[in-house]
Amino acid sequence: MLTAVFAIAFAALIAPALSRRFDDRAGWVLAIPPAVAFAWFVTCIPVIARGEDIVETLTWVPTLGVEVAMRLDGLSLLFALLITGIGTLIVLYAGAYLSDHHHLGRFYAYLLLFMMAMLGLVLADDMIAMFVFWELTSVASFLLISFQHEKSVSRRAALQALLITGGGGLALLAGLVLLGFAGDSWRFSGIDVTAVESSALYYGIMVLVLAGCFTKSAQVPFHLWLPNAMNAPTPVSAYLHSATMVKAGVYLLARLNPTFGGEMGWSMILIAFGATTALVGAVLAIRQTDLKRLLAYTTVTVLGQLTMLIGTNTTYGLQAFVLYLLAHSLYKGALFMAVGAVDHATGTRELSRLGGLLKLMPLTGAAVGLAAFSNAGLPPFFGFIAKEFAYAGLIQMGITGWIVTIAMILTNALLLAAAGLVFIRTFLGPRGHYPREPHEVSLPMWLGPMLLAIGGFLLGAWHHWPETWLVNAAVQAVARGEVDVNLYLWGGVTPALITSLITVALGVVFYRFRHQVRLQIARWRVFWGVSGDLIWDRFLKRIFALASLTASGFQHGSLRLHLTLLSLVLSAVVFVSLAIGGAGLFTGGSYTDLNVPSIMGSILALSGAGAAAVMRGRLALVAALGASGLGLALFFLAANAPDVATTQLMVETLTVVFLAFVLRSMPAIPRVADEGGISRAAHILISVLFGLAVALALLVVVNVPLAGNIADWYVQNSYPGGKGGNVVNVILVDFRAFDTLGEIVVVALAALAAATLLGGGQLTEMTRKGEPEFGSVMLRQAVRPLAGMLVLVSLVLLWRGHNLPGGGFIGGLVAAVGFILVVLSFGNYRARALMWVRPTLLVGVGLACAVGAGIIGLLMGEAFLKGLWIFPLGLPLGTPLLFDVGVFLTVFGSVMHMMQRLAGRPV
Amino acid sequence: MEWLAALTAGGLAGIGMWLLLDRNLIRVVLGVAILGNAINLGVLTSGRFSGTDAAFVTATTVPADPANPLPQALVLTAIVIGFGLFAFALAVLKSVRESHGITTTDRVTEVTEEPAPDAEEVGLQVHQDDADVHHNEGQPEGLEVRR
Repeated sequence: MLTAVFAIAFAALIAPALSRRFDDRAGWVLAIPPAVAFAWFVTCIPVIARGEDIVETLTWVPTLGVEVAMRLDGLSLLFALLITGIGTLIVLYAGAYLSDHHHLGRFYAYLLLFMMAMLGLVLADDMIAMFVFWELTSVASFLLISFQHEKSVSRRAALQALLITGGGGLALLAGLVLLGFAGDSWRFSGIDVTAVESSALYYGIMVLVLAGCFTKSAQVPFHLWLPNAMNAPTPVSAYLHSATMVKAGVYLLARLNPTFGGEMGWSMILIAFGATTALVGAVLAIRQTDLKRLLAYTTVTVLGQLTMLIGTNTTYGLQAFVLYLLAHSLYKGALFMAVGAVDHATGTRELSRLGGLLKLMPLTGAAVGLAAFSNAGLPPFFGFIAKEFAYAGLIQMGITGWIVTIAMILTNALLLAAAGLVFIRTFLGPRGHYPREPHEVSLPMWLGPMLLAIGGFLLGAWHHWPETWLVNAAVQAVARGEVDVNLYLWGGVTPALITSLITVALGVVFYRFRHQVRLQIARWRVFWGVSGDLIWDRFLKRIFALASLTASGFQHGSLRLHLTLLSLVLSAVVFVSLAIGGAGLFTGGSYTDLNVPSIMGSILALSGAGAAAVMRGRLALVAALGASGLGLALFFLAANAPDVATTQLMVETLTVVFLAFVLRSMPAIPRVADEGGISRAAHILISVLFGLAVALALLVVVNVPLAGNIADWYVQNSYPGGKGGNVVNVILVDFRAFDTLGEIVVVALAALAAATLLGGGQLTEMTRKGEPEFGSVMLRQAVRPLAGMLVLVSLVLLWRGHNLPGGGFIGGLVAAVGFILVVLSFGNYRARALMWVRPTLLVGVGLACAVGAGIIGLLMGEAFLKGLWIFPLGLPLGTPLLFDVGVFLTVFGSVMHMMQRLAGRPV
Repeated sequence: MEWLAALTAGGLAGIGMWLLLDRNLIRVVLGVAILGNAINLGVLTSGRFSGTDAAFVTATTVPADPANPLPQALVLTAIVIGFGLFAFALAVLKSVRESHGITTTDRVTEVTEEPAPDAEEVGLQVHQDDADVHHNEGQPEGLEVRR
């Protein structure tokens, strides 16, 4: 079973390549996997008929105990035979039908993908696996309906189908998960029925599961999508939207019938919805003039009847369900394919233009005739037996049954009239008016309908065969207990037979007076005004409107409003928690003493920032921002953080240079007061609240002593574990090197992105001269040794960084500052020449060094980024040092890359 | 010293937010830098300043009362990443100015935003309805597929 699923999936994968190579002949190759699978399932028939199940499992997520369990029982086997059997014929048919379509390969891929999913759906015993396949069929159906995606009608139909079945799928998932918990098993075969029935969630589960099944099987009021799905190419309509996919919902209903089919409402719901769907479908079908839409509505009818038959839960009802399922798949598949062939040959599907085709297309005509007889439920076809049993099943139910029976008589009579339209109107009578000269279609196109139609005839005429081998096992799988199966064509004069006769008589009358019937139906204008499709469109439009309303409320595109909301919420959270915490939060914990540098640093940082906030001159702004950063660096130094202070110093230098470069091309900044007084006041209030919130939150934090001793651990283990005296650097390149690796990747990415934008997305030419402001000869002469010294210092900082202040980050920044001096004084051409290589290459090498340092650890059988050391000649060399070199190169390369772009002149 | 740091961080955060709320993009970019500084200072502050010595050890000695090295390591990388972010913001500023000729925040959205490609289609859905099938009689669908 698993092999079959995998083989078909594989065929889907190679389909596009194969069909590019062989065009439409690829179909003959691609039909092999489903054909072989069909043959294998046929060989399984005797085993299943003995009442045994075939089970295969595949471990999926072992840690969660999830496995793909496949179980073949009577019901699954019936479906598997239909899927692979009809699937084989459809693949052949599609090759001829779409022979010169330029996306034939894609079509095959979607079709086979669907086949794989559908097969998995009916075989899966595991609920989650079943659900995954279920959703896959929805996706495949979406792709197939929208296959002619250049037509807006197709796109709309595909979206509608996806939204309806997908929405139902979500409900189903919820239902299945609840069912799994309530029934204490994730296997369909292992559900504890009594536990489910006594569960408080029983009705919830039932409604959710029903929502999934009803949407998939197009029950009223979800039937909308199915007729629209006929915009798909005909092979798809024949396969997905009549024979297989739409029966997935019915399949699941049948599968769960043993669980829910007790005396708790399940039956009544199924009968009510099923009967309504059947009647609505039949009435709508008879109104259609397009053959394909007509067939689509009869499919809706049959799906309703199938749902209803499961609901009867009587011996005859369940037998009728299985028979009808089989019969319908055979004749409807045949009819769809034949209609496609007619369309293909004549160029029209309009009933008013068709007629007298039998002479022109004898083989197709014969197939349609056979299938239509089965469709109409006339003896000795399989469809007749199915209908007889359906009546018998309903009558077994008593009063309700009789009421439904009357509805069914009407429905079946309409179906019979529809069958008449399909066969008599199209193939008999005077010759129609065709857009092109009709001709008999090629072998693959008539073979499918013919085989299916003959199958329907043979199964009816020799009904002992299906009874013994197929129907019995399937009925046992659907029923709650043991059921006797006994098929007959002639069971004597029973109520069912009489009902059948009435149906046929009524059907003939309907066909004879079809125009009057249509007229009568058309009189009920009130109802046709209530169009489901229109409601759907309006509903969708409302949803879009609601979505855009909600979205535009939050995604208004105004940065200032975003920030206002953000900061107000943050402030509110802080203030509310402070209010709850009360005064107890500020007990005046032990603070360290102030020192002069820290006070000076604070003042400088705040006044610099304050000045930047109000000043207008661009140069003044740059200077103020720089002063603010310097103040912060001073504060860091006062707080015993020399490495941080150095980094801040270097970054501040670079910030000033970058800012100056960008701002020189900017217009003057308007005064702050240019905005209205109210919004200015509001901004002041928001900012003050935000600042207050941050300050208060920090005060609360530092009010209590630091919890834990993680700092102590790092200090104690820095030398023994990391072979380094500079604890901060050891943390960066050894203890938490993986974090640092991620961080330098971020720096590199930011630099790559920023550089592209800084260059205006264009190539820039390198400048051969420095900036005019650096034109003084004295200055330029002084810059040379200074830049050289800075680079040397950076290397020293890198080398000693493990034990003394310094390291890759600081070294890289210092080197960058040195080179930037060169760029400013001599132009970036000179800087590039001194660097030898492109900055981006340096970034790449740097990242490679960092990753390589980690991989060495792996190669030595240790963890990734494990620090390993050797001491040749007493020199401490280790992977952390290599890592730090990587950091150095990445940071240096990133800054230089941006600088090169920033300083370059547009070509 | 902690309270001074907290107040400084608060002050910087307030100024940063004030700049971010400004309509001029240049001020917004400055705000990014200043708010980043405020947050760095905040992180360092939350590690307390209780140590009397910087966190340096030797093979034999460990200082009795070292500063907390962990927030220092975090802030060190945060500063460099903050610079990357600042450079990117600057780049965006430059590119907005060059491609749209403006430097105000709210106008950027108006100038650059295009309607979603399929926004039109929602309003123009084709009603393939039971009731109006009659209107397209004689024009069967699916002609493209056939040869």
